[in-house]
Amino acid sequence: MDAAFVERLRKIAGRRHVLSEAADLYGYESDASIDRSLPGAVVFPGSADEVAAIVAACNERGYPFVARGAGTGLSGGAVAESSALIIATARLRRILEIDPDNRLAVVEPGVPNAEIGAAARAYGLQYIPDPSSMAVCTIGGNIAENSGGLHCLAYGVTANHVLGVEVVTADGDTVRLGGRVADAPGYDLLGLFVGSEGTLGIVTKAVVRLTPLFETSRTMLAVYDSIEQASRAVSDIVAAGIIPGALEMMDRLTTIAVEESVHAGFPTDAAAILIIEVDGLIEGVEETSAAVRRACERGGAREVRTARTEEERDRIWRGRKEAFGAIGRLSPACYVQDGVVPRTRLPEMLREIADVSNRHGLRIANVFHAGDGNIHPLILFDSNQPAEVERAVVAGDEILAACVRRGGSISGEHGIGTEKRDCMTLQFGPADLALMARVKAVFNGRDLCNPLKMFPTSRRCGEGARKLASGKLSPAMSAAVGPAF
Amino acid sequence: MIDATSFATSLQQAVDGRMLVHPRACEAYAIAGCTPKLVLSPASVEEASRTAQLIADEGESLVVRGAGTKSWRPPVPEAVFAVLDMTRCEGIVAHEPGDLTVTVRAGTKLAHLQSALSRHGQFLPCDAPFASHATIGGMLAAATSGSLTLRFGGIRDNTLGMRVALSDGTVAYSGSKVVKSVAGYDAYKLFIGSLGTLGVIGEATLKVAPLAAEDGLLAARFRSHRDAAGAAIDLARSNLFVWSASLHDGASTKRIDAIPAVASPNDWLLLVRCGGSPATVRRQIGGSARICKARGALELFEAPAREVGSIWAQVAELAGGAAYPVRDFVVAKFSTLPTASAELIDALLVAWPAAEIVAHPALGVAFAHAPVDRSSFDAARLSALWSSLKHREFNAAFLSAPPGISRGFTVPITAPIELQRRLKHALDPRGTFDPGRGAAGL
Repeated sequence: MDAAFVERLRKIAGRRHVLSEAADLYGYESDASIDRSLPGAVVFPGSADEVAAIVAACNERGYPFVARGAGTGLSGGAVAESSALIIATARLRRILEIDPDNRLAVVEPGVPNAEIGAAARAYGLQYIPDPSSMAVCTIGGNIAENSGGLHCLAYGVTANHVLGVEVVTADGDTVRLGGRVADAPGYDLLGLFVGSEGTLGIVTKAVVRLTPLFETSRTMLAVYDSIEQASRAVSDIVAAGIIPGALEMMDRLTTIAVEESVHAGFPTDAAAILIIEVDGLIEGVEETSAAVRRACERGGAREVRTARTEEERDRIWRGRKEAFGAIGRLSPACYVQDGVVPRTRLPEMLREIADVSNRHGLRIANVFHAGDGNIHPLILFDSNQPAEVERAVVAGDEILAACVRRGGSISGEHGIGTEKRDCMTLQFGPADLALMARVKAVFNGRDLCNPLKMFPTSRRCGEGARKLASGKLSPAMSAAVGPAF
Repeated sequence: MIDATSFATSLQQAVDGRMLVHPRACEAYAIAGCTPKLVLSPASVEEASRTAQLIADEGESLVVRGAGTKSWRPPVPEAVFAVLDMTRCEGIVAHEPGDLTVTVRAGTKLAHLQSALSRHGQFLPCDAPFASHATIGGMLAAATSGSLTLRFGGIRDNTLGMRVALSDGTVAYSGSKVVKSVAGYDAYKLFIGSLGTLGVIGEATLKVAPLAAEDGLLAARFRSHRDAAGAAIDLARSNLFVWSASLHDGASTKRIDAIPAVASPNDWLLLVRCGGSPATVRRQIGGSARICKARGALELFEAPAREVGSIWAQVAELAGGAAYPVRDFVVAKFSTLPTASAELIDALLVAWPAAEIVAHPALGVAFAHAPVDRSSFDAARLSALWSSLKHREFNAAFLSAPPGISRGFTVPITAPIELQRRLKHALDPRGTFDPGRGAAGL
């Protein structure tokens, strides 16, 4: 990035808020995915006006730019290809307003997800979407990726909890999409914007919906001797008319790893466990958890435990949240996939993952949002063995293709970014992608705003991941990635 | 340009002969009194796309129509060339109860869908009005939701993916058929609330919910709408998670059988819909009763559980629905912050005394219905309402009004108009779909 442009950025954001030395830029060359690329510079604007001025300057000079929150993204959405400028939202982290009677909060994009919840709690309210990285990941990043979380089964993902955004568009204009009040006339640009992976503009302010806190929550653990039974129980519970707040599944490889590091009290001899959380009014939770227990037992659960204390409940959830990190320690490297199948197809999908594992001679651990059919197979491999890297990538592709064949999706919550852009053609045909391209051109015709993301390049699915994994994956990386899932 | 006969033949082939040309036959599809020259009834999204392309290539225009419940929604067109009647493109494509998803063709009637889902103990959690004939495609195009939005979100929140047809012959899919997906842009959301101005909604995948094990309904009579609106806001802030709270003036209350009419025409009735396990419903009813009493409710009445469904079917039709037939009533919908609902109703009572008012205060929404009769409608006063609210956060739209009445009333658009125009141009470059019908002349 040329000195004159860096100087211009310093004038806009302040001398201390621009990084341009290579040594300072390495910390910003990747997010939590396997992709990496050194940015041209990093700027930390202190206001929406500064964001607009920076974007206008980029437009004038034809520099690409990429917004970045906490860098916890799992698909390369915040990776600055083409030596792009990173516009980091770290200084935009004020909660501007909590309006309890209208059940909303107005926040800046750099506010961590969990801080919104903490501020709302004082009013008996909560912010529902809860990605596992919620302690650090920012609301701006959540909006870009349409983040999910453990409790999205019953209450929806980020798109269902964002009422409005103020955005600096790719051209540098400041616009408002949606707002505090419903039924804005015109097209639902907000609906389009949430989940657009930073390719349509940069959020500078967001109005989010708050929800009353539940009176109580109950966490249960159902233990199975076969993966088949556990995965069948997922649709049995839902078919019984119950939508739990959360419904998670872990296989034996995962529970063993978790027990070695966290001691959550998971049975390590069971083929699979389900973690089920039911929330609501005390009396209703009694009834619903009894119905969940019946459904699990009918489906062959060996044991159904209920967390009796808050401490026990925390331990179960800690075990779930730290599962990825624990698995990371089992192997020199691991490659996480994120796909979705209709939940009734989970049993066959898990059989297929077992087949893929056997075929490629690779261990695959499963820990995932079973209620949503959102699988997260973790493929364990040795990054020092090129042939094994190749097999891991092929195995990942095969799993994604199998999800699409079953009417599912190539990403439930991690996004497309750079990692999966060449897999988009598995799920979408030329006409579907052309519609998306037409929409993108309306907002980001010059492709300066988070360029090259989400849309397929000329490579085929998996090639990008293969190239990166063979050269760049390190044992440290899988451990570093762990806690973010 | 091709000659008229071969154009007609091509259109006829595109819809497999389901084309009306006789003015008498076309009259039933009139849009605000304008009879179309042609009515075409495609049976699939592919047929719809072929038809749209033929019409676009001739430089003509097209109005997409479901059940016609928004035919009098301003701004109304001055002339209509062709109507694309989507009611033949109907039926459930796929429903897997264990997945809680259903894929339907756009012309499927809401009532048909609900009855098919109910056989599996499920429902689309949307109490949109005109339930007996509204189509899913029409509900999506008009973004029509009901009061259950409080608990389940609106129709937009329950839509997962869509197949759409554009005027260049494109048929494209976006979103997914599973409950969670972040692959690609959710371009389908642009069509929700687009009033048919971007393209044709052909098919949609929707999220469904289990029917409640038990239903409950509490009616609370209030002297003042302010107290009732306050109670609705308190309910929405509480951890009772009631399904909805609908507020009715005296005249609107009279239209609900099985609910005792309020003694004074000036009284207001707040109807609280509850649902869940039996014990949950008991708690919701008890908790709601306490909240209403604390806000000064004069009288409380609980409907028998078995009657809740039929009562609510009537209640849903009172919010801009079949209780106020579109030819006979001017209907407007106003949206503001929940805490400003009472003030909005105050303004309506002054500006439009003939209107029957139904509100969903916890959502910040109010509907006003008045007979199409000059004497019930004072344009100057309503203009004053518009302008008195203009500087606050609010949105407003006529859902049904004769052209003479709605002319001159415009609602400020807060959305970035240039982006909206560019989007319209990108997706419908020849302006084939319903020209002039969208917000601000989109």
